[in-house]
This record gives sequence, C-alpha cells and structure tokens, in this order.
Amino acid sequence: MTETNKIKGGYKTRRIIANAFIYILLAVLGIIWVSPLFYMILHSFRAEGLSSVPYLIPKTYTLDNYILLFTDTADLNFPRWFVNTFVVACFSCVISTLAVLMVSYSFSRMRFKARKPLINVGMILGMFPGFMTMIAIYYLLKAMGLTQTLVALVICYSAGAGLGYQISKGFFDTIPRALDEAATIDGATKNQIFWKIILPMSKPIIVYTVLTSFIGPWTDFILAKIIMGDKLENYTVAIGLQKMVSVTFMQSHFKRFLAGSVLVATPITILFLFMQRYYVEGVTAGGVKG
Amino acid sequence: MKYIDYVQLNPFQKLAYNLKNFFIALPGNIKKFFCALGRLIKNFFLGIGKGIGNYCSRFVKGDWATKLSYIIMGVGNAAHGQIVKGLIFLAVEVGYILYMVGFGWHYLSKFGTLGTEVQHREVINGARVSVPGDNSMLILLYGVLTIIITVLFFIIYIANTKSAYKAYQAKAAGEHLPTFKEEMKDMLDNKFHVTLLAFPCLTISIFTVLPLIFMILIAFTNYNAAHMPPGNLFTWVGFDTFAEIFRVTSSGAGAASKSATFVELTKWTIVWAIFATVLNYILGMIVALMINKKGIKLKALWRTLFVVTVAVPQFVTLLLMNQMLQVDGAINILLQNLGIISQPILFLNSTALVARITVIVVNIWVGIPYTILITSGILMNIPADLYESATIDGAGPARSFFSITLPYMLFVTTPYLITSFIGNINNFNVIYLLTNGGPTTTELYQAGYTDLLVTWLFKLTMDSKDYNLAAAVGILVFIVCATISLLTFNLTKSAKNEEEFS
Amino acid sequence: MKKFIALLLAVLMMASVLAACGGGNTNSGTSSDAGSDSGKSGQASDPFAGQTDIQLKVWADTKVTALTEELCNKFKEQYPDKNIQIEVVAQGENDVTSQLLNDPETAADVFSFPSDQLTNLTTAKVIAEVFDEYRADVESRNSESSVKAATLDGQLWAFPETGDNGYYLVYDKRVVSDEDAKTLEGILEACRKAGKKFIMDAGNGFYSCVFPFTGGMKLEGIKDDVQQFNDYNEDEVVATMEAFATLMHEYSDVFESNSDNKIASGMDSAAGTCAAGIDGTWNAAAVEQALGENFGAAKLPTIKVNGEDKQMISLHGYKYIGVKEQSKFLEVAELLADFLTNEEAQIKRAEEVSWGPCNIKAAESEVVTKKPAVAAVLAQAEFSVPQVNMAATFWTPMANLGNELYKGDKYDTETIRTLLQKTVANIKDE
Repeated sequence: MTETNKIKGGYKTRRIIANAFIYILLAVLGIIWVSPLFYMILHSFRAEGLSSVPYLIPKTYTLDNYILLFTDTADLNFPRWFVNTFVVACFSCVISTLAVLMVSYSFSRMRFKARKPLINVGMILGMFPGFMTMIAIYYLLKAMGLTQTLVALVICYSAGAGLGYQISKGFFDTIPRALDEAATIDGATKNQIFWKIILPMSKPIIVYTVLTSFIGPWTDFILAKIIMGDKLENYTVAIGLQKMVSVTFMQSHFKRFLAGSVLVATPITILFLFMQRYYVEGVTAGGVKG
Repeated sequence: MKYIDYVQLNPFQKLAYNLKNFFIALPGNIKKFFCALGRLIKNFFLGIGKGIGNYCSRFVKGDWATKLSYIIMGVGNAAHGQIVKGLIFLAVEVGYILYMVGFGWHYLSKFGTLGTEVQHREVINGARVSVPGDNSMLILLYGVLTIIITVLFFIIYIANTKSAYKAYQAKAAGEHLPTFKEEMKDMLDNKFHVTLLAFPCLTISIFTVLPLIFMILIAFTNYNAAHMPPGNLFTWVGFDTFAEIFRVTSSGAGAASKSATFVELTKWTIVWAIFATVLNYILGMIVALMINKKGIKLKALWRTLFVVTVAVPQFVTLLLMNQMLQVDGAINILLQNLGIISQPILFLNSTALVARITVIVVNIWVGIPYTILITSGILMNIPADLYESATIDGAGPARSFFSITLPYMLFVTTPYLITSFIGNINNFNVIYLLTNGGPTTTELYQAGYTDLLVTWLFKLTMDSKDYNLAAAVGILVFIVCATISLLTFNLTKSAKNEEEFS
Repeated sequence: MKKFIALLLAVLMMASVLAACGGGNTNSGTSSDAGSDSGKSGQASDPFAGQTDIQLKVWADTKVTALTEELCNKFKEQYPDKNIQIEVVAQGENDVTSQLLNDPETAADVFSFPSDQLTNLTTAKVIAEVFDEYRADVESRNSESSVKAATLDGQLWAFPETGDNGYYLVYDKRVVSDEDAKTLEGILEACRKAGKKFIMDAGNGFYSCVFPFTGGMKLEGIKDDVQQFNDYNEDEVVATMEAFATLMHEYSDVFESNSDNKIASGMDSAAGTCAAGIDGTWNAAAVEQALGENFGAAKLPTIKVNGEDKQMISLHGYKYIGVKEQSKFLEVAELLADFLTNEEAQIKRAEEVSWGPCNIKAAESEVVTKKPAVAAVLAQAEFSVPQVNMAATFWTPMANLGNELYKGDKYDTETIRTLLQKTVANIKDE
C-alpha cells in the first residue's frame, strides 16, 4: 500500500518537475521569439529621436507615427497600398489554396500514367533561382496588357501555387484510403469524395495553405516592384515599407516603418488567431483514425 | 532485418544501418537511374516512331470525315455526332492560326539569330526620332512562347485525329458514342485528375516553365552588360559561358578567381543548408512536442507566441533583426546593460565564423514557427499507444523521441524536409537582408563570407548585369538541387511505399 | 497514296500561312532604312516640328516631385500654342536605371539620375546624347568637372543637374570647435573628451575610398571594360591608409563605422551619442534639425601622415537629367531637360531642397552660400575625385578595404600593401 503510493507519488513529482521545466523553457523561448515584435510595437509609438536611440525602452510615446501614415500620403500612400495588398492577398489566397489542394489530391489519390513524372517535375521546378525569370514574367504580362495592374499580381502569386503540393500531399497520404474505398462502394464519384470526404478532414493543411498564401503578397518586394514600375498608386505595402527604409526616407520614416509593419502584421495575426481554432479542431479530427 | 528488429535498435545503430543500406544500394540505384533514363530515351523515340505509324494508318483506315479532320480539326467528331467536341477542336485550330499570323510567327522567324536590325536614329518630319531595332530578349521570350504553343497545338492536333478515328470506329461497330455530357461527367470521376490538374498545369507552364526555359536559354547567349537590349542585340554563343565558369584562373597576387569563389560559396551554401534545415526541423519539433505534451496547459497561447512571428512579413523582421544586431543595436545594448559584454559585438561584420553563426541562429528564429506549424498537426497523428508501450518499456523522452517520433515524422515529412533543404539552398531573404553577404573579403569575387550562391547570383545580375553568367550558374545550382532531391525523394520509403502508415 | 496527298495538302497549307505572315513582316520592316545616318547630326530648327500633341513623362526624386511639376508648368507656359502634357512621377533615383532597362517603353522620357548609373545607361543605349544645339551652352554654364563626368566617346550624355552628390564633415559645435574640425585628430580628441562618437561608414565603398584617395589615388575612367586608376605612388597610398587604420584603432572607442543615417539620429537630443561624422547631403536637413544652431558643416578635415597634414579627398558625384533615347518626342524632351537644368531651376532646387547646383552662376548665388551643408560639399568638391564612369566592380572590394582597415587586427605596412594590391586587382578583375 505505502509502497505503491510512493511509486505513484514519485512518478507524480517527476512529472510535475518535468512540466515545470517545460513551462520555464517555453516561457523563455516564447519571450525570445516575441521580443523583436514587442520591440517593434514599442518603438512604433516612440515620440523622440530619429531612426535609432541608444536605449531599449522609449521615453515618450505618441500616436503620430500611425496618424502620419494615413495623413501624410503625398509621397507614400500607405492606406492605398494597404488596401491594394489586402485585395490581392484575398484573391490569390483563395486561388492558390484551391490549386494546391487540387494538385495534391490528384497526386495523392488518383493513379494515372503521368503521375510520377509530374510529381518529379513539379518538385524540381521550384528549384531554379527566380531572379532571371522575373523579367520574363513581366513581358508575358505585358503581352497580355496586364502590367502595372493588381490583376497581374494576383496571377503571379497564384500561378505557381500548385507547385507547393508536397506538404499537403504528405498530409493527404496519411488519411486512410479505406474511407475513399467505402465511399466509392456507396457510389460516390471522385469529385464527391474530394469535396465531401477529404476536404473536411484536411482543415489543418487548408489552414496552413491559406495562411502561407495569404502572407505571400504582404512580403514580396522584388517581383511586385518590377511589375508595378512607377505606378505608385498600385504599389503594395511591401514595396512601401521597403521604400521607407531606403536612403531617402530612412531618417524620417523609420518609426513609421515600424508602425506600418505593426499594421501589416495585425490582419495576418488576427486571421491566424481566428483560424487557429479550426486548425486545432482539424488536427484532432484527423487524429481519430484506426 | 525485419521491421520489428529494426525498431529495437538504438538510434545510432539505426543510423549506421540506414547509412550502410544507403551505400550498399547506391551503385545499384545509380545504375537503375541511368537504365531508367536510357529506357526513357529509347521509349521516347520508339513512341515517336509508333506515333507516326499510327498517325498514318489512322488516316488510311479512316473514313472521309476522319481524313478531313487531318486538315480541318474536329470534322471527324462533328460528323459522327460529337458536335461540341468537334467545335472545340476547330476553335483550337482557328485560334492557333490567328495567333501565329498575328503574333507568333514574327518572333519565331527571328529565333535563330535573335534579331539583326539595330536601333538607330532617323529624321521624320524634321524631328529626330529613334527607330527601334529588334529586341533580342523579346524575340527569345516570345519565340519560346510560340514554340510551346506550337507543341501544345500539335498534341491537340494528334488527339483530334485519334478522337476522329475512334469516333468513326465506334460508329462503324455500332457502339454507343459517349455524348459530350457523358464525357464531362467522366471528367468528374475517373478522369477527375485531368479536371483538377488542367488549370494549375496551364498557369504553371506559362508563368513558371516558360520563364525557366527562357532563363536556361539565356545561359547560351551573350546577354550581358555589353549586349543590353533595346540598344544592342545579343545572340547565341553555345557553351562559352560555361567554359568561363570552369576556367581556373591562376590566383595569387591577382584578383579573386571566379571558379574559386564558386567552389567556396558552394561549400558554404551546403553547410548552411544542412545546418539551417536540420536545426530548424529538430528544434522545431521538440518545441512542438513540448507544447503538445499532455498536462501542459495554455497550448494555444504557447503556439501563438511562436507562430505569431510568421504573421509579420519576413523582410520586416529581418530588417529589424539587422538593425538590432548592429554595433549600436538593441541586442548589443541589452547585453551591455546586463553586463555580459563590455564592448559591443560586431555580429554581422567581424569574422566569417561569427557572422555565419549569427545568420544560422537568426534563421532558427525565422524557421522554427514554420516547423511548429507543419508538425503539430502530424505529431497528433502518431498513435498514442506507441508512446505508452515505450514508456512501459522504460524509455525516457529522449529515447521515445528518437525511436518513435523521429522515424514517424521523417516518414511523413520527407517532402517537407527536401523542400526546406532546397529552400535553404536558395534562401535569399535571410542572407540578403541580414548581412548582404558580409563580412567582405579580398579572397572572393564580388562576394562575402555569408553569401550563398543565390545571393551571389543576385549581385552578379544586379551589379554587373552578367545575365548569361548568372543563368549558367543558376543552371548548375539547379542541377545539383534537382539531383539531390530526386535521388533522396525517390529512394526514401515515403515515396516507395506511399500506402504504408495509412 | 491517299495519306501522301493529305500530307502534301497539309504542308502546302501550312506553307501558305507561313508565307503570308513572312510577307507581311518584311513589308513593315522596310520603311525604316531611309536616312539612317542623318539622325545623329541632323539639326532640327524647331523642336516641335511635325508634332502637335506632346506627351512626356518625367521621373523626379520624391523630394523634388512638386518642384519639378512647378517647373514643368512654367515650361508649358512658354509654349502656349502647343498642346503639351507632362506627367511628373516620383521615382527613387537608385531605381532609375534598373526600371529603364526593365521596360524602356513605359519609362519616363526625361529622368534624373546620379552619375554612377551613366555607364549602364549608355551601354544599353537607352539615353540620348545632349543635342549639338544645347551642348555648347550646357558646357559653358556648368562646372567643368560635372560636364566631364558625363562626357564619353566625345559625346555629352546628360544635362548636369546638381553638383553635390558627395559628403562633408558635420559636427556638433558644442563638442567640436571650428578649430578642432580642421583635423581628424582634433575631432576625435574632442569627441573622446565628451564621450561621444564620430561616425563614418567605413564599410561602404562610397565613403571608404577616402582612405586610398587621400594618398593620391584617382579614378581615370574605364578602358576595355576595366576600371583605370592614375599612376599613384603606392608607398604614399599605403602610408595614408596606415595612418587612417592607426587612428581608427587608437580611437576605437570614438570612431564608429556605421550607416550614415545613424549620424542624425545620434545627434538628435533624444540620443546625444554622436558629435561628428562624415555625412551625405541627403541627410543634411535631418542633421540640421537635430542640432539647430549648433550645426557645423565643413569640408573634410586633414589627417597627419608622416608628420604632414593631408587634406582628405572624397569621391564626388553629380546628378543629371537624361533623355530617353526611345522617347517618341525626343526633340521636346531635350528642350525640357535643358529647361529643367538651367540656372533658375538649379537655384530653385538649392532654395527649396538644399540641392547644391553645378551651374557656375547658381553656385555663386547667395541662396547657395548661405546653406552651410551645400557650401561645405561644394568646398569639398575642390578636394575630390570626380565620379567618372565607374566600373560596377568598384564598390564591393572598396567596401572591403574600408572594413579591413577598420576592424582588422593587423595593420602593419605590408598587410596594408597587400590589401591595396588585392583591392585594385579585384576592382580590375585581372
């Protein structure tokens, strides 16, 4: 009796110590991971100083950096660029997610002659360094009369999305095929299996794909710049933020750059927090398998 | 060795066992690879021969409508009742001809020379005007486009003759010919992959494959600073550019040689890719395991803490990191305030080693949230009883990680590992925004100690406009990447036994 | 037999289609041969000849977009009977060449650019030469070096716009006295006393070339794609570099190699960490605002080399206004470029955005001499190497040279000699 209790108690204390250790570790790591973002937020409210100050915590705070982003739009029209990016991100996110799911489903579930070669080709296509191809993309879009438009950006960001199939194919592979077979016996077509059985089980990977493709347009400052050229009103925030830290603006705009970054990060973070619930749900649903 | 024996080995024995197997199998696999390649080429030509044969025999055996559809596409199908299909074929043919007349032929005809007419001045109506010459770059690009479209058209054309003949045969045999509606229905079932893949394949070939072919071809031209369009023409030069890369120049007191730079940067690129990938993967998974451990509360909070960094655009965080790592940056201030150091550390710009460690560490910061994102979901899929039995056997967390978690995860996420390895080889953002290649040195040509091949390429393209050189180096990088990933991917279990674990 | 006929038919059809296209193509190409050589020398008496509706796009730096618009409106007023539309678009100067080369068709007809981009513009033939009718006037009204830096193969390639794309000494008068500011040693000593930094971007080729240039090295343009230097005295250059290296190490607590935007933020009252620095004119406004009446600006100081005070020599660039060769309205574009760089325009720029003129008369005007930063840069121009046709390979090795001198732990004569030789070899890529 006492013996078993001791063992139980020993096991329990060991687990508590282990958990405490994990909590501490997670807290330390969490602080390390968040602190640059915290620094960014803190200094986006800094009132004094120019691009940098020799201390960590600002001495005075203001909302001016944010207000100026939206009022001082003569040189850098941040609100306009923000809306542009949001629109582009929404469209390209929907299209790319569909493309990724379509490609990975066919590679995971369908069996056809060209499958293996296509998988291999798809895998290596993304391995070329892309700088040289940008000018080609520009002139292809120009031939279609689309340069300097937001449509062009949507096309660019979602055209190659299908190549990102590897991860979700890996995920689809872990969903039992017995489900498909059962459905086929019940008379379901592949189309129905895709929409009604596989997709509802794939929330984690859908969330992952949605997130990555939504973030893409907010971070690209090279291709977008080439496509937009001197069409300032169609710039995206990434080009704008890049401009704020260029030689001309760095001195006067660094705090605004931080403020702008905070504003860019906000919708994505909200989207993420909102999606995370489904994300976890999807994971647990996916976990229930024989 | 049976799987059951394998599972009982310790991690090092497993590694040794796998390595042994890998090397034993390597010669065979390489042989297999080349045999497969040979077979592929043989089959390709056999297929062409057979195709021509079939093409002709279909024409001889077919009825008048089949024969007519060799010139006017779609007639065969239309004549046998498949009106919609026939009209689609016809539309393709008309579209192709219109494209060639209006656009394609102009560029295709100059593809061999890449243009001959140079831009020059003229006086028109008493005003000086520049008259545009040929633009070699556009000729190359639109020439490739036209060739691709022609190949596609040819494939559809052949499909048209086949389809016409098939319709004729079915009609002659009195079989039921599938209506357009029925065929469409089949597209949602047995041929669902065609429906699914059609759109992505189309966009990928236009916006990825076509530009790639364009870039590959540039390596065989003399497109560089001295031959910039629109004022100048460039033309085909064969393998000259590759010869330039492999020409080993005598070093010494002279300039840093390009081939030596290539070798040095290749070495560092590989070291970087291995460290960046493996550390991110293992550490990320450990963090994910800690978050997902039973009894740990506030899981959502912990996960959010890490993953929230993904939400901030990477170039923002990297530029911020760059500022924070400066002599007067936040990290130096912090370390000085804490009394850890007295003199600021030059993280990015002192010795090669310090800078390289710094970029790897920063990359861990960037990369771990992604690993958490991708692995948490899959980690939950590992059957809990595997862990339970391991715990009963007295296995500690480290052992169960290496004997259960890692093998399972490696199996499921091999594609992710390969993509992230390749992604790190081509990891432009981290290096470019953080160090821009620094610290500098006299020993490398237009590069610094942390430059990857890809950032070197970018510098070559942007600064010296050596497009052909950059394209050639790009091709070499690509060949290495493609070989590594195709070999590993096709040799690992996950590709061989896709049906296992499910 | 039947299949043969069908094949023949198909081939014939294709051939006829192809022939039709080919024919159409040659027709459109022939008209362009007439009078091809007359273009370069031919003088049009009236720039508007044969053109009624004129549409021009102008690229100006963000800082001067509004000003340029104003000038363009004045230009239009001069020709009330013509229909001229001018669109002024803000364009960062550093992007001008890359955007022009990406797509000359949508690029601006008239654009402002810094001198280091000229080589790329001329080799790609996207810039038109200054027409003969403007040339003599342009050459006489602007400073000789600004004209020389844009002359290549006997042609003048652009209209000089500003003469201040260089750097100067900026200092906080409370810490560094005007007397201290004359020598680098004096500045560093004064900074040390106050516990403040002296900032210069030694890891940037634009600034670090001061080290060898002060020793007598000069740029001599490009020959056969290779950067040329003057016949400098290597011992002297090495000795000068050594003097810099020694000073930087002796004052390692004061001398900070950091990006030039840190000067203004360090001088701002919020930080107060920086007392002097070598800074570009583009930051002048911020520094002036940070220091107020304590703002000091002067030409670069001297440095003691072998017991002798040597004036620091800088790299001095210019800004130009160029005309796109592919412009549909070449003649009017030249006229506009000429107008945008005349004396009045240059004075206006100095007045409103503190851009120092290269126009000789404008440089002497009171507006300019009253601006301390502009005056300092123009004074420094006398002790500078003009930025003429530089090879793209110049910057990286030169940045490395500065870096090595700053942080290298060995700075004896021989190490520095090897560094210099290697750097020159890397720039020349030989």
